[in-house]
Amino acid sequence: MKTTLKLGLAMAVTMGLSGAALAQTKEIRVLLANHPYGEVLKAAIPQFEQQSGIKVNVESLQESQLTTKLTTEFATNSSSVDVFMTRPLQDGKLFAKNKWYEPLGGYDFSDYPANTVSIVTYDGQPNIVPLVTEWQVLFYRKDLLEAAGLKVPTNFDELTAAAEKLNTGGLAGFASRGKGAAAVTQLSTFVYNFGGNYLDKGVAVFDSKEAVDGIRYYGKLVGSYGPRGVTSMSWENILPLFQAGRIAMWTDASVFYGQLTDPAKSSLGADKIGIANVPAGPKANSPFYVTSWGIAMASQSKKKDLAKTFLEWATSKELAAKAMEANITMARTSVWEDKAVTAKVDPGLVETRAFVAKNGNPSDRPFMSAVGEARDLIGEIIIESINTKGESPQIDQMAKDRAVKVNTLLRDTGEYGQ
Amino acid sequence: MKAVGLRILFYLAVVLLALIVLLPFLWMLISSLKTQIDIVAWPPKFIFSPTLQNYYKVFGEQDFIRYFINSTIVAVFAVGVSLLLGLPAAYSIARFSQRRLAMVILLARLMPGISFLMPWYIIFSRLGLMDSYVALVLSHVLITLPIVVWIMSSYFETIPLELEESAMVDGASRHYIFLKIILPLSGPGIITATTLSFIFSWNNFLFSQVLSMEKTRTLPIAVFNFLSYADIDWGGVMAASVAIMAPALVLTMIFQRYVVSGLTMGAVKG
Amino acid sequence: MTQNSYTDSNIRWIYPLPAILFVALLMVFPVLYTTYISLTNWTLTSGTAPSFIGLSNYGQVLLEPRFLQALWRTFVFTFSAVAVEAVLGVAAALLLNRVFVGRSVVKLLLLLPLVATPVAVGIVFNLFYDPTIGLANYVLESLGLPGSSWISHADTVLFSLVLVDVWQWTPMITLIVLAGLASLSDEPAEAARIDGANEWQIIRLITLPMVMPVIVTAVILRLIDALKTFDIIFAMTGGGPGYASETLNLIGYKYSFEYFRMGQAAVILMVLFLIVLACSVAITRLGKRIER
Repeated sequence: MKTTLKLGLAMAVTMGLSGAALAQTKEIRVLLANHPYGEVLKAAIPQFEQQSGIKVNVESLQESQLTTKLTTEFATNSSSVDVFMTRPLQDGKLFAKNKWYEPLGGYDFSDYPANTVSIVTYDGQPNIVPLVTEWQVLFYRKDLLEAAGLKVPTNFDELTAAAEKLNTGGLAGFASRGKGAAAVTQLSTFVYNFGGNYLDKGVAVFDSKEAVDGIRYYGKLVGSYGPRGVTSMSWENILPLFQAGRIAMWTDASVFYGQLTDPAKSSLGADKIGIANVPAGPKANSPFYVTSWGIAMASQSKKKDLAKTFLEWATSKELAAKAMEANITMARTSVWEDKAVTAKVDPGLVETRAFVAKNGNPSDRPFMSAVGEARDLIGEIIIESINTKGESPQIDQMAKDRAVKVNTLLRDTGEYGQ
Repeated sequence: MKAVGLRILFYLAVVLLALIVLLPFLWMLISSLKTQIDIVAWPPKFIFSPTLQNYYKVFGEQDFIRYFINSTIVAVFAVGVSLLLGLPAAYSIARFSQRRLAMVILLARLMPGISFLMPWYIIFSRLGLMDSYVALVLSHVLITLPIVVWIMSSYFETIPLELEESAMVDGASRHYIFLKIILPLSGPGIITATTLSFIFSWNNFLFSQVLSMEKTRTLPIAVFNFLSYADIDWGGVMAASVAIMAPALVLTMIFQRYVVSGLTMGAVKG
Repeated sequence: MTQNSYTDSNIRWIYPLPAILFVALLMVFPVLYTTYISLTNWTLTSGTAPSFIGLSNYGQVLLEPRFLQALWRTFVFTFSAVAVEAVLGVAAALLLNRVFVGRSVVKLLLLLPLVATPVAVGIVFNLFYDPTIGLANYVLESLGLPGSSWISHADTVLFSLVLVDVWQWTPMITLIVLAGLASLSDEPAEAARIDGANEWQIIRLITLPMVMPVIVTAVILRLIDALKTFDIIFAMTGGGPGYASETLNLIGYKYSFEYFRMGQAAVILMVLFLIVLACSVAITRLGKRIER
């Protein structure tokens, strides 16, 4: 008994000592994404190091690599990561289920919209601080719409009519992602606006009539008026085409607005490019409005105090205001209420955000652990729908079959019906 | 008259063949000198004012110099280790006709890399060796070692046995013979093996894609990632492609004779 | 001296030993490990330790339509690519097998695709194939033909990928066959020519049969490499659109490194491994027969 006590004491002392030794070096490892806000942080880190005396080892990774790297390091228990950027809707369920996030009980979440916090809350505690939000919008060519005598479409009927009228040989009337899994997020608004959903209380429901109507409509629109080869296009392919003046209207995430108007890449002037809310559907008018990026602490971190200091700084209001100037749409509510800040942000972004903040749907994909596989499965239906302009008789059957498969995935991870 | 006609037809065929082979390289080079606006123009522009801004972007703004260095480090060490392990093995295989042994090593050349990659990935992550040069070099050696063994064992077979026998009569050890007599005679074979293994390590994508991350990222991965870093910057990607292909192409032009003999000897591909 | 004699008499295993150990460690061990994983239900992301489930992964994966389609596609890709390469490669070799101005330049050109980085080749062809801005459709349309969707449509994607493989690897067959032709003696052909045979008869009845062993070797080597094709497919389509260009290699990669379903991925890897192993055994058999 005595020896055990002694041993325990000795261990406590050594551990305390090694803890002290670690604290002396004051070093943390941070993984960032190749994302504009990641760049903002990277640029400001030297300043943080000076103020705090904490040395920050930063790595920037492309988003899918970031997920892969974190997953492997955490799953094999070999991680030395302290703080990392994360995608709440892509990584969230999986990471939280495996308890890879450190719960952020002490953090002040009062400056964040309630729906952005609720989606990162697990077991009653938020796990991620939301950083960047994005929502779906309609980009359009003002000059072309005007020349055709068209108003900006406000519902799906007007959208179809406008796309049809604008669509000519060298110009695609309407574009949106067609590349299977990548298209799932952009399809979401269409599914919502037809009254459907991907999941409902942990059960796949994208085989409902409403959802299938949305998938068919998306396929009809993109298949009939989209650029050739659209089923292999994600935003990175569509953006240059829009910049080249080959596309009249495009629905995608708000973040691309800044790049669209970049004069180095586009022969169009910023004055020709408009931004508007996604048109309303027959049942709803609820575009996705999601937290695309957040930042979190690793539960495996051995330097949680230092990590917390970094996290507080990285999510500070000052940095958020600075990022807003670069048209990065931050999650904090206060920066959108600050006139001095919003004056520097594009008015189109301010207006569309005001709409989605009220009416948006906080998810743009099936929110589950095996989200990658689920997106691949739904992606198949999207491609079939686009290839047949929404006409294929198989779509209903495919949707049923893929819903069964997604339910299997949900059961595998114990999320079914939750 | 008919002969002349045939001759013209023949040269037309040869020129057509050369054009087909060259076209992708030419188009890559041309596009790398275009601005994004010129690249997405329709119909494609054949006359435009060339710019070096894509190269500036690749080497100035992106970290391609570092990836270049990473690729070089990995390839050089992989080739070095392969020569160290492969030369003695190849010699033994050639001298003692160890065909089974040769087959075991060559299996590494024939097997799909992905079937080893998953276990490596697990083991290297457990050992904390992900994103380390050690893991990358080890994986690349599995590609380059069979190339060295294959080429060198065939080469050693062409060196006349009499040379060794007379040295042995003079009391030289096998080891001495290998180091001082055989290796100095094997220059051309070693050049062939080195060039080809370097190129195949340089071009490897799959192993580096899985085992390297930010720190040890090699060029092929950097080029691929460049695609999804932002909207497709075709000009930049093409400039990066030129940069990655250039060393292999230049090496091939310099050592053309050796590369041909190495490739046709048993047709080596990673 | 005694030590030397020990090395001398044992050199046949001392010299190859390090290489063999290396291969055992990096190749044989992983294959055994994969075999073990294929019998477990391990998913890297589940957070639970793998448990032994016997052959049930095999039952599940081998019956999965997505897997079966990938298997079939792998064969379609491999055989169609290599068939085209063999025909074109041999034809080009016969064409170039004579003395002409610029022969060395053409031979150098033929080498270039072989050493070009496959990923970059894939990306260049992506720009080529782009249906809206690519050169391929421009050429088709200037010839008055309709443009194609190339890699963007399930019906044309595999064919488009085969074309890339053909561009890159036909020269290999050409070079091997050229080397084979160079080693042939001219006598039989000369004799036939004196007997009044025309060029076509000589090629068909004399030259081709003589280089046939070389052609067969080249084709088998290509078959194995084509089976393993990963880089260009991954870079160009990632297996898409949908799953339309997913081969065993691609699906194995996705199951391992995107879905982290290690147990099921291991099954796919085992199948791929066994197919290539069977081909390799076939090669050695054939090699022996040719030697005789």
